[in-house]
Amino acid sequence: MLEQVKQEFITALQQAETPQQLEQVRIAFLSRSGKIAQLFEGMKTAAPAEKPALGKSLNELRQFAQTQFDEKKLVIEEAAKPKEIPFDVTLPGRPKHVGTKHPITQVMEEMVRIFVGMGFSVEKGPEIESDYYNFEALNFPPDHPARDMQDTIFIQDKILLRTHTSPVQIRVMENQKPPIRAVMPGWVYRNEATSARSLVAFHQIEGLYVDKGVTFSELKGTLVAFAKQFYGSSIKYRFRPSFFPFTEPSAEMDITCYICGGKGCRICKHSGWLEVLGAGMVHPHVLKNGNIDPEEYTGYAFGMGIERTAMLRYNIDDIRILYENDVRFLKQF
Amino acid sequence: MKVSQKWLKEFVDFQMTPEQFTEELSMLGLEVESYEDLAKKYNNFVVGEVLQKEKHPKADRLSFCKVNVGEKVLDIVCGAPNVAAGQKVCVALIGALIPHDQHDPEGKPFVITNAKIRGVESFGMLCSVCELDLGDDASGILVLDASAVPGTPLADYFGMNDVVYEVGITPNRADCLSHIGVAREVGVVVNKKITLPNIELKESAVPATDIASVEILDAKRCPRYSARVLRNVKIAPSPKWLQDRLTSVGIRSINNIVDVTNYVLMETGHPLHAFDLDKLAGRKIIVKTASEGQKFVTLDSKERTLKSDTLMICDGEKPVAIGGVMGGENTEISSTTTNVLLEAAFFNSANIRRTSKYLGLSTEAAYRFERGADIDMTIIAVNRAAQLMQELAGAEILNGIIDVYPEKQEPAKIVVRIPRVNSIIGVSLTQNQIISLLEKIELISVVKSNDELLVTIPNFRTDITEEIDVIEEVARVFGYNNIETKTHASIDFTQTIRTDRFQNEIRDYLIGAGFHEILSIALRQETVARLGGVQPIKVLNPVSAEMEALRTSLIPGALQVVKHNLNHGVKDLRLFEIGNVFTLKNSADPLNHENYHEEERLLVVLSGLHQTASYGQPVRKVDVLDLKGEVSALLSKFNLDNYRFIYYDNPKTLTDPRIDIEINGTYGGFFGKTQKHIAHALDVEEEVFVCELSVSAMRNAWVRERKFSPLPKFPSVTRDLAFTVDVATPQQSIEDVIRKVGRPLLQNVMLFDMYIGQQTGASKKSVAYTMEFQAADHTLIDDEVDAAVKKIVEAVQQQCDAVVRS
Repeated sequence: MLEQVKQEFITALQQAETPQQLEQVRIAFLSRSGKIAQLFEGMKTAAPAEKPALGKSLNELRQFAQTQFDEKKLVIEEAAKPKEIPFDVTLPGRPKHVGTKHPITQVMEEMVRIFVGMGFSVEKGPEIESDYYNFEALNFPPDHPARDMQDTIFIQDKILLRTHTSPVQIRVMENQKPPIRAVMPGWVYRNEATSARSLVAFHQIEGLYVDKGVTFSELKGTLVAFAKQFYGSSIKYRFRPSFFPFTEPSAEMDITCYICGGKGCRICKHSGWLEVLGAGMVHPHVLKNGNIDPEEYTGYAFGMGIERTAMLRYNIDDIRILYENDVRFLKQF
Repeated sequence: MKVSQKWLKEFVDFQMTPEQFTEELSMLGLEVESYEDLAKKYNNFVVGEVLQKEKHPKADRLSFCKVNVGEKVLDIVCGAPNVAAGQKVCVALIGALIPHDQHDPEGKPFVITNAKIRGVESFGMLCSVCELDLGDDASGILVLDASAVPGTPLADYFGMNDVVYEVGITPNRADCLSHIGVAREVGVVVNKKITLPNIELKESAVPATDIASVEILDAKRCPRYSARVLRNVKIAPSPKWLQDRLTSVGIRSINNIVDVTNYVLMETGHPLHAFDLDKLAGRKIIVKTASEGQKFVTLDSKERTLKSDTLMICDGEKPVAIGGVMGGENTEISSTTTNVLLEAAFFNSANIRRTSKYLGLSTEAAYRFERGADIDMTIIAVNRAAQLMQELAGAEILNGIIDVYPEKQEPAKIVVRIPRVNSIIGVSLTQNQIISLLEKIELISVVKSNDELLVTIPNFRTDITEEIDVIEEVARVFGYNNIETKTHASIDFTQTIRTDRFQNEIRDYLIGAGFHEILSIALRQETVARLGGVQPIKVLNPVSAEMEALRTSLIPGALQVVKHNLNHGVKDLRLFEIGNVFTLKNSADPLNHENYHEEERLLVVLSGLHQTASYGQPVRKVDVLDLKGEVSALLSKFNLDNYRFIYYDNPKTLTDPRIDIEINGTYGGFFGKTQKHIAHALDVEEEVFVCELSVSAMRNAWVRERKFSPLPKFPSVTRDLAFTVDVATPQQSIEDVIRKVGRPLLQNVMLFDMYIGQQTGASKKSVAYTMEFQAADHTLIDDEVDAAVKKIVEAVQQQCDAVVRS
């Protein structure tokens, strides 16, 4: 009897495929009036001696049936669940805003970083300058043709937009005692018509080192160290005599053209060299104007343009695009 | 300045390729910017002799010629009607580049190859004037003089075997604004002294002083005036060599007298002027300043208004030249001139510059005088010119020079300390080495002591006035590349290195937050700069109307950037800029530099969509709250926790709403939506949200070093509350009450929902807050929190006319 119920249950459970059929199996076998319950009912009439063994078998059967039933229920419920939409991992990621640093800032920061690593501080000065700081203190006498080197935008007769970052040299010397080691980046202004090559405003970075025993030889060393960091350690370089009223001896530094590797191209005007900066020993008059005794201290100064460097680095052929701030341009950096 | 290699060789003997010349001169500080090798232009062109001319077998108009080109005889087919046996002609050999194809409509150059012309092979071409780029004549081939030798390179035959260099002369090197000056530097390279032109004059017996006189009334502005009198000159075109010379350095030939003055100018660097002596009233020269407002017509037929410090050359009655700048029309050399007063003078450089600037008249003469001429050169220049005028115009040179030179200028003598030389340059040169380096550039030294030299500076080096100038010369002649590159410079790291870390961090933060950095030029149109709300500073000499005034706010410029991007289809913008704005603090005193104020500002711009449109993302436009969120995040990023927003109702400013930002109780900037009329003025129709902050206000409040606060030890309890309030009640007023009343247990309040709709009615809104309570010393029990919440509910209901929702 017991074995027969067990077989019936197994068969019925096997045949059940829907939750409804499964429920019928539960009612038929596992409910209070189900076949297994009826077996327990029948146990009441059994001989007392058989009862313990019979009870044990019945309990085993009930446990077996319940376990089988629960397993089957899980399977059927799982099957009956609505199917999930498959997850498409190839959907685009949710967009994020990506910001960029202006290429001029990038170049300037890199230059500053190199000089800071060499012990230079960063200083700033005003863009509206007086004639004194922009010219006179830098040894440009009034009525001197050297003033023609820099077409000036005037605000008043003796008030102007600085034509170079060099006036910050004087301000730094006035406010600090040697040793002075500073770089001074910023905007400068020239009265030049706008073209692919020139703009009315651009950036320079100035450098100044004043201490006891500073020599031209050391100027060369520092600038070569900078150039190797910035342009690469394999560059060749040369220093040519030049003229700036505020330095003497004055020099310009060329490096091998990194567009053509020194063979000569359109960018280096077929010379194989690129002029990268102007420099020199701080003129004694300039030290004096900065309240520094030129007999006790010497120093060097240097300056370079940022835009041309950035243009060469990023292969930009028209300077005007730098300040149009077209997002399609900015996104590229 | 254009420099002819051939001309240089008259003063110094040297052999250098153009590349070597460029390198060597550049390394001496005379930057050779470019050069033109004229001989190269006529590479593969030679003189030829037509030995034989026959008709082309297949073409009537063509001739078949045998041409002797020196080493061999070539077969050449020629189409020119004038070709004939026995002619000396210009032959373009195979490989020659014809500069001008006369059969091409654009006259493009082409290269000669051996070609079959109607079946007959041809090994070159006979050239016309046009094809040689020497003129326009294309009617036939150029027939040369019978004396021309076959095989001679054409450049040699034409005397064009020259290289012309473009040399950049720095303003200090006035002495190099001449061939003699540049030759002196070439002499340094090849270690040779220059030879000056040999001047021999045949003077007549009549003393010049009998005919003319010179008087200087202003010796400060004109320290020397040297003149010669020449009679019976025959004005004529200059000979070809002189014309060629002038052409090669870019000067137009006029006549033999004017050309000689220009020739001597380019040779010696000293400006000269030739007057028609018969037009000089009283045959007199008087050097004096003009009277203010006086008018004068210069050689270029323009009337000039003079100033009281303009130095004039006058005759007995009238001004005849602006001294050192330009001659006058009234005494100009003409075709009828027979007698000439030739002058070479020396003028004060600063005065010449002032005059030249004031008149807006830059001439070769003024250019040299303002940089500093050689006071000793007047005699050489005037003699050299007289000699050439005698040779070329048959001039009779009267006896003697009228040389007015009231105070003779002795060459400067400068003490140079050897240790100083070495300590500036960083070398260890001996006294003898320095002496010989200086000697190369004609600076003669006398040993003063073991450590000192007394160096005599020739008058042509007006730029050398003190020791440091001599030191530069030592370094220059020694060679910058021979100076050690000291790569082990000692750096003192005990000093604090100051950098602007704050600015860098602002940039890095905003870039991380998805903003593009923009940089814009501070100069704007005045009307645009004025949109900043403050009277902008105008410049006196703007490059253009778009660049006439300095910005007083970064916002108008940024709107122009927005406009540019909108025009190019970029609508979703997240931008920032750090830059200065400029104001004049006291407009009553614009001459005082102290009154000009510059302030560094940070600008943040939002426009377009909040998120880039993408799959599954709701799309909406940015609004003030987006910007408010960005600003709040920025301020808290830099620990500027003590900030507050101040709201204005009816702003007459750039934005509406205008929300001011107060940092540590000080005004720090503002943000809002750009006012319609401002955006409209710049042709921007999109909504643009802007924030402008003072970088210094932020920097001052920046808490760089934070101290750690211990994390709470006891758990917090969260409660939510919702109120119904009037729709116009600002949520901030409710939040403020909650914060105030909730102290000390309340740690955080956050608005998590706001609702206006059916349940509230149109005149009310529901605002819901999440509140976090916590005690530092124990775990809160419900009663404590309930009491705090009750206090909050009561206060809000009372103070905000609110009803709590259950």
